[in-house]
Amino acid sequence: MADSLSPACTPLKQEYDSCFNVWFEGYLEPALSASATDAQRTAHYQRKAEEFQAKCGKVYAEYQNCIQGAVKQKGIEPLLQQAREEHPLREPPPPLPPKDSN
Amino acid sequence: MKFYQQSFGYDDPWSIVTLAFFLRYPNPYASHVISCDVVSRSVTPTGSLLTTRLILKRGAMPRWFPKGIISRAETWVVEESEVDPVGRTVKCKTRNLDHVKVMQVEETVVFRSAPGGKTLQLTEARIGSGFGWGLTRRIEAHGLNRFKANVQRSREGVSLILELLRQSRLRPMTLGGAEDATLSVRLPAPPIPTVHQTSTETDTNEQRECPTLKAQNSWSRLKTWLHPPRSD
Repeated sequence: MADSLSPACTPLKQEYDSCFNVWFEGYLEPALSASATDAQRTAHYQRKAEEFQAKCGKVYAEYQNCIQGAVKQKGIEPLLQQAREEHPLREPPPPLPPKDSN
Repeated sequence: MKFYQQSFGYDDPWSIVTLAFFLRYPNPYASHVISCDVVSRSVTPTGSLLTTRLILKRGAMPRWFPKGIISRAETWVVEESEVDPVGRTVKCKTRNLDHVKVMQVEETVVFRSAPGGKTLQLTEARIGSGFGWGLTRRIEAHGLNRFKANVQRSREGVSLILELLRQSRLRPMTLGGAEDATLSVRLPAPPIPTVHQTSTETDTNEQRECPTLKAQNSWSRLKTWLHPPRSD
């Protein structure tokens, strides 16, 4: 796990990364058979998203709180915003309903 | 504008290559990565994972580059990725945020699941400079050469993490206690030890001392990533 751009956020980042990596490994495993219906897939990944929120949601929110402040402070925010608007990988998805906001 | 395209096959399944790709920092082949942060992450209704990472990389200007134009040889890079676990595809786009007038590098990497439990990687890049002063072509050519060398290093980094993942799966972690038990696992024999052996012990090779050390470090970190100590 590389450091955070702000040393103050590094402990939170590492805690978050650890949590994410464990979840991610499970998320990548093919858990559904090839004959699974779209509805089954949707339900499966909905559960995965909820599981992530339940396990890592709190530390993710804390880490984001820290990092967003640091990004603003370093003056990178406008560059980042511009880049994401000019060259989006894809259309931004509708945000997930907040499952458990602290 | 220069274009670059390359494909490469891994003998490992898509899920492991993808995991290694996401875990690739830090690794001894990426010592230029200063920091790496997730600035946004979400799962779409169809199950895809969208991530934006902000990465700070250290660079070096070529000797012929005019002095005083770039005060610090560091670049902010934004990396946007989409993992589609149903289609077994990863798409990852990377571009630099600053020094864009000197040089803009846009890279797209795609990992696709291939028959026989293998994975195909496609890399595409566009390198452009708007610098002028008769240096545009030279900067672009330099950028392309650097990019080619970096693609190789980047792949070696992913391969190293892959090897570590393979080993960690072959050796089930001992449950409870015995934290250091898995640390006895030796690093695979990626190019590092060879380089280390062939290099004579002179001061100019001091850079080469680091990778072995860091690699051990990254292994112990990897262990913690995949199996963090339980907090309960």
